Amino acid sequence: MSIAGERPVIPRRSRRQVDGWRWAGRIFLVLMLLYTAAPMAWMLLTSIKSGFAAMQMPPQWWPEEPTLASYAKLLDPQNSVGADFLRFFWNSLFVSTMTTILAVIVAVPAAYAFSRFSFPGRKFLFFAVLLRNMFPAVIFLVPLFILMRVLGLVNTHGSLILTYLTFGLPLAIWLLKGFYDNIPIQLEQAARIDGATRFQAFLLIVMPLSVPGIIATAIYSFIAAWNEYIYAYTFLSKNDQLTLPVGIQRFFSENTTDFPGLMAASFLMSVPVVVLFLVLQRYFVRALTEGAVKH
Amino acid sequence: MAHVVLKDLVKTYGSFNAVNHVSLTVNDGEFVALVGPSGCGKTTTLNLVAGLIPITSGEIAIGDRVVNDLDPKDRDIAMVFQNYALYPQKSVYKNLAFPLQMRKLPREEIDRKVKDAARVLDMTHLLERKPRELSGGQQQRVALGRALVRDPAVFLMDEPLSNLDAKLRVQMRSEIKRFHQDLKATIIYVTHDQLEAVTMADRMAVMNGGFLQQYDSPAQVFAHPVNMFVASFIGSPAMSLVPLEATTADGETVLTSAEGWILPLSARNARKVAAATSNKIVLGARHSTIKLHKSAVPGAVPAKTYTVEPTGDITFVQAFLAGAIVNISVPPTVAVAPDAAVWLEFDQDRIHLFDGETEMALNAD
Repeated sequence: MSIAGERPVIPRRSRRQVDGWRWAGRIFLVLMLLYTAAPMAWMLLTSIKSGFAAMQMPPQWWPEEPTLASYAKLLDPQNSVGADFLRFFWNSLFVSTMTTILAVIVAVPAAYAFSRFSFPGRKFLFFAVLLRNMFPAVIFLVPLFILMRVLGLVNTHGSLILTYLTFGLPLAIWLLKGFYDNIPIQLEQAARIDGATRFQAFLLIVMPLSVPGIIATAIYSFIAAWNEYIYAYTFLSKNDQLTLPVGIQRFFSENTTDFPGLMAASFLMSVPVVVLFLVLQRYFVRALTEGAVKH
Repeated sequence: MAHVVLKDLVKTYGSFNAVNHVSLTVNDGEFVALVGPSGCGKTTTLNLVAGLIPITSGEIAIGDRVVNDLDPKDRDIAMVFQNYALYPQKSVYKNLAFPLQMRKLPREEIDRKVKDAARVLDMTHLLERKPRELSGGQQQRVALGRALVRDPAVFLMDEPLSNLDAKLRVQMRSEIKRFHQDLKATIIYVTHDQLEAVTMADRMAVMNGGFLQQYDSPAQVFAHPVNMFVASFIGSPAMSLVPLEATTADGETVLTSAEGWILPLSARNARKVAAATSNKIVLGARHSTIKLHKSAVPGAVPAKTYTVEPTGDITFVQAFLAGAIVNISVPPTVAVAPDAAVWLEFDQDRIHLFDGETEMALNAD
């Protein structure tokens, strides 16, 4: 047949095509890496320059006199800048952590219920949960501000925590429901037959298996709350309550901008997120349910 | 160990009846197989007994206790799931210990029982492994071990062998049978594989469409299927069913086919046909009761071979007869060609006759 004659040609041609695409892909990835990594590298480099060196033109690519002065200033509670920075840092940590804890506490049972129980209005509720995320966040800025004023929460961290939950919870519930859907129901049934109550089956068998999901959800909520700017800027006006994204603005002023200080603060702000990721990332990849059931 | 009584059990989902008025008794120490095609309600019935889903109406008793409203944990049952449902985060040891821990047994007793069970199932060396590090057969054993470690009143098994490969399945089949003999355990075993049911069970409950069709020993079900469904479901290859018409010729009742041939009936079979609700009769015969002739003999009816499947010690022949496919087995020494004209002789004492309207077996008495 004619196929026999063509056979050696087809793979050669397709391999050449694949190689072309592969190289295009590699180049694209390298460009993307530069695009994302270069600003971070510049941030780090600037943060260890002196104020004068940071403003030089042409720029010093590598700082001639590297100094950790900016970091020392930021982390020194005696210094007014340092005291502010540490307070903002603490505020951000408090708001983000509380948001995360509340999101997990609410999302875990909600997602489990959506995954396992059938109740009237289940489908409607499940999609209603997502409704909030179908609109840009800014649209809710004024309504939520009015609501917070009515509740007397303006200028409190509570207003931010509540607001961040309205973004975070829907996605947390969706994420976790996916996790619970993937945990075979027979595991709970087996536990209930083995002598566990429904709640014990959830606590002793399902919860440990959903730890990766809970961690993924927690990281998601934490980062979203940690980076949020516009609501924090609107709801809070007292200096001692500001969160980091808003507080860092103080490094800009009309006459001078302390670029090394700004960059050091930005770097310190990214530290918790990076650490969180590094410590917990193994939970993302671990397929815990492997070997539970045979498919 | 205990007996189990299902009384008029019903489970409906909306307007769909998954289990329809099923009543049966499983005696103490008896191995009962619930068998039927997928969606016949057998697994639902098992889950009702386990208490994993609430019953719509009826009554379930384990021992002398009505368990309708008891939680699964209070029913004193153990269950082996089709997908094993081992706790993936726990080692084999902890999987086996879990049911005992839940019952708050002392640590030393748990340890002793787990090790006993591991010894019985020959998996002492696997105790520290996680389920994902085990082969399919080993996982299956752990699932079995977790059930027997607790010494429950009733074992429920939901297709425990269907995920194993063919060779292992046969091996585990005899192990479970042995396990039943040794422990005198009451076992309710769900399977879609009629061969498993026939080989393992003391009695089998054949289900279809949520209804219990027949509940009897495998031998009885095999020899006296109550209707066409049971007849065609139990036995491999399936019982051949040929739709015919009852007529009277010279005062004798005979069966005639659309192809024109006539099958005379014995007096006993004629009485059976007389009990039918119409003249539509279905003739049923198992492969081993049909004789194949290569030339016309008196009493034999003409057919045409379709496929010939040698299996080594027996050769299965499929033939067209009156529009239906008929399975016949012949010794491997008999050479049969496809698309050849053959003549089939039915054994009057061993054929089954069914009412073509009601699909029920016809009886002489």
